[in-house]
Amino acid sequence: MLEAIFLGADQLFTFTTMLTMLVGVTVGVIAAAIPGFTITMAIVLTLPLTFTMPPLQGVATMLAVYIGGYTGGMISAALLGIPGTPSAVATTFDAYPMSRNGEPGRALALGIWASFFGTLVSTLVLIVAAPPLALIAVKLGAWEYFSLVIFALTIVASLVGRSMIRGLLAGLLGLLIATVGADPLMGVTRFTFDLRVLSAGIPFLVVLIGIYAVSQLLKEVESPDQVQQGRQLITGRIEFHPFAALREVLMNPINLLRSSMVGVFIGAVPGAGGSIANLLAYDQAKRGSRRPEDFGKGSSEGVIASESGNSATSGGGLIPMIALGIPGSAVDAVLMAALMVHGIGVGPRLIMDHADTVYGMFMAMFVAGAMMLVICLCSMRLFLKVTSIPKSIIVPVVLTCCLVGAFTLNNRVTDIYLLLGIGVVGYIMTKLDYPLAPLVLGVILGPIAETNLRRALMTNEDWTLFFTRPISAVLLGLAVISIVLAIRYHLRENRQKPQDA
Amino acid sequence: MSGTNRNARSLDDRASIDAKRAKAWGHILFNAILALLFAFMFVRAGELPSSMWEPMGAGTFPRIVLALLVAFNVMIIVKELPKLRQTSPLSPGAVRTWLTEHRLAFGVLVLFGLMTAAVPVLGFRWASLPFLIGCQYLLGARSTKALVIATVVALALSFGLDSLFRHVFTISLPRGMW
Repeated sequence: MLEAIFLGADQLFTFTTMLTMLVGVTVGVIAAAIPGFTITMAIVLTLPLTFTMPPLQGVATMLAVYIGGYTGGMISAALLGIPGTPSAVATTFDAYPMSRNGEPGRALALGIWASFFGTLVSTLVLIVAAPPLALIAVKLGAWEYFSLVIFALTIVASLVGRSMIRGLLAGLLGLLIATVGADPLMGVTRFTFDLRVLSAGIPFLVVLIGIYAVSQLLKEVESPDQVQQGRQLITGRIEFHPFAALREVLMNPINLLRSSMVGVFIGAVPGAGGSIANLLAYDQAKRGSRRPEDFGKGSSEGVIASESGNSATSGGGLIPMIALGIPGSAVDAVLMAALMVHGIGVGPRLIMDHADTVYGMFMAMFVAGAMMLVICLCSMRLFLKVTSIPKSIIVPVVLTCCLVGAFTLNNRVTDIYLLLGIGVVGYIMTKLDYPLAPLVLGVILGPIAETNLRRALMTNEDWTLFFTRPISAVLLGLAVISIVLAIRYHLRENRQKPQDA
Repeated sequence: MSGTNRNARSLDDRASIDAKRAKAWGHILFNAILALLFAFMFVRAGELPSSMWEPMGAGTFPRIVLALLVAFNVMIIVKELPKLRQTSPLSPGAVRTWLTEHRLAFGVLVLFGLMTAAVPVLGFRWASLPFLIGCQYLLGARSTKALVIATVVALALSFGLDSLFRHVFTISLPRGMW
C-alpha cells in the first residue's frame, strides 16, 4: 500500500500535472460561474485534451475541473441569484439574500470555505470508507430510488416559498415537463403535439436557465427609475474578509460535518448527485438550527450547508466508481471514460490492479481542493467587481450567455425557443409567488422517479413493497414527516401574522 | 403634516389592496388555464399505449402527475376565491400603472424574443449584436460614453463569443441563412 502511495505521489507531483490541474481548477470555477455552462459540459470539453497526457495526469486534471466547478456554481448563485449549476440551487436561498443585504463578500467567502471543507471531508471518507459505503449504495433498488425522489421533492416543496401547495404544484409541474418527449422505457412519444420544438423533450438545463436566469433578470429591471439611472446589482461598500468567514465556518462544526456527510452519501448513490445533496443538506441544517426563521433571509448556516453538501458529492460520487465501477453521476461516467481510454479497466479490481492511480486520484482531490481555495480567495475580489457593473450591461450580457448556453447543450435551435417560453412561464410564476426550485428539481428527478417506479412494479407487482422494504419505508416516512412539519410551520406562521384583510 | 401622512398611508393601503386583488385574479386565471390544460392532457395520456411487459404503460405515470396537478390547481383556485370577496374592485388605472412599472421588463422580453426569432435567420452574430446594443440603450445607456461601451460590449459578446466557440471549443453557433 505504502509503495502504491509513493508511486502515485511520484506521478502526481510533477510540474506539468500541477500546471494542468491549476488550469483545470480555474476553468472549472469560471465555467460553472456562467449560468447554463455545467460542470459536466466543462469536463466533457476537457476529456479530449487529456488523451495525450499520462493516465493520472489526465484524471487529476479532470478532477481539478470537477472540484473547481462545484465552487464556481456558487458565484452566480450568490451574486446574481442564478445557480451556475443545478448543484447550487440551495445556495441561492441564502447566499443571494446575503448579497442583497450588502454582504456579497461574506457570502462568497463562506461558500468558498464551506466548499473546501466539504471536499476535504468527502476525500477523507472516500479513502477510509469507499468499499463499505459503495456496497450500501448499490443495495438500493428501484423502490428506494423512487422513495428517495419523493422525499427530495417533498423536502424542497416544504423548504421554499410561503405556500406548501404552490411548492408541491411547482414540483409536480417539473415532473410533468420531464415526461415530454420519448418515454424512458418504451420510447413512445408523449405530449409533443406534433411540434418539432417538443419532439426531443425539454432538457433540464434549458429549464434551469429559463426558469432562473430569464425570470430573475426580468425581475432585476422592474424598477425603471433605478435601472435607467445606472444602478448596480448590489449597492454599498463591498468587503471581503476571508479569515473572518473561516472563523464563522469553523464555528459551525456540526452543520459543516453533517452537510458534508449528507453530500458524501448522496454522492455515493448512483444517479443522485449534487443537485439533491445541496437541498438535503440545506434542509437538515434548517431543521437542526437554533434560528430556522433566519433561513432564506441570508443565513450563514444555509450557505455553509448547501456549499459543503454539494462539494462533498465530488468524493462521494467516486466511491461506487472506484469500488464497483458504477459511476455516481454523469461527471463520474466521463472520468471513467477517461480511465478506460488509457486502458485502465474500472471495476472492483481497479484498486488492486492500479493502486498507484487510485491513491494518486485521492491525493489529486486534496491538491485540487487546496488549489481551488487559493485560486478562489485570490480571485474573488475580481468576481466581486461584477456587482459594480450597471444592470444595463449585465442583463443583456447574461441573457446572451444564457442563449448560447441553451444552444450549445445539444446544438439545437429549438432549445432557444424553449428557453424563451420557459423564461416567460418562470416570470409569471415568480410574479405569483411560486417557488422555482421544486420545478427544476422535478425536471431533474422526473425520469429517475418514473423509470424506478415502473421498474419496481415490473419486477414485482406488489406495490406494498414501497412501504415494507426498510430503506424505502424510512424515506417515505421522512417525506410524510417533512410535509406534516411544513404544514405545522405554515399554520403557526399564519396564526402569528396579524390579519391584514 | 398629519393630513399628508394620512393621505400617503391611505394611498399605500389602496395599493396593497389592489395588489392583493390583482394577485388573486392572477392565481385564478393562471390556475384555471393550467387545470383545463392538464385535464385535456390527462385525457390524451389515456390514449398512450400500454405495455405487455409491465403493469404501468407509457401513460400511467403522467396521468398520476396530471391528476395531482388538476387537484392542486383547483385547491389554489378555491383558496383564492374568497380574496375576491374580501377586496374591493381595482382602482381605475391600476392595470395601466402596473404595465408602466413593468415597461422595462416587457421591453427586454420583447427584444429577447426578437433575438431568439432572428437567430436561425440572421445567425447568432447578427441577431445578438442589435439585441445587445438595443437592450443596453433601453436600460439606460444613453450618453456617448455609455453608448461606446455598449457597442464594445455588444461586439465582444456577439462576434467575440462566436469566434471563441468556433475556434477554441470547436462549437459552431448558428450562422443564419447566409
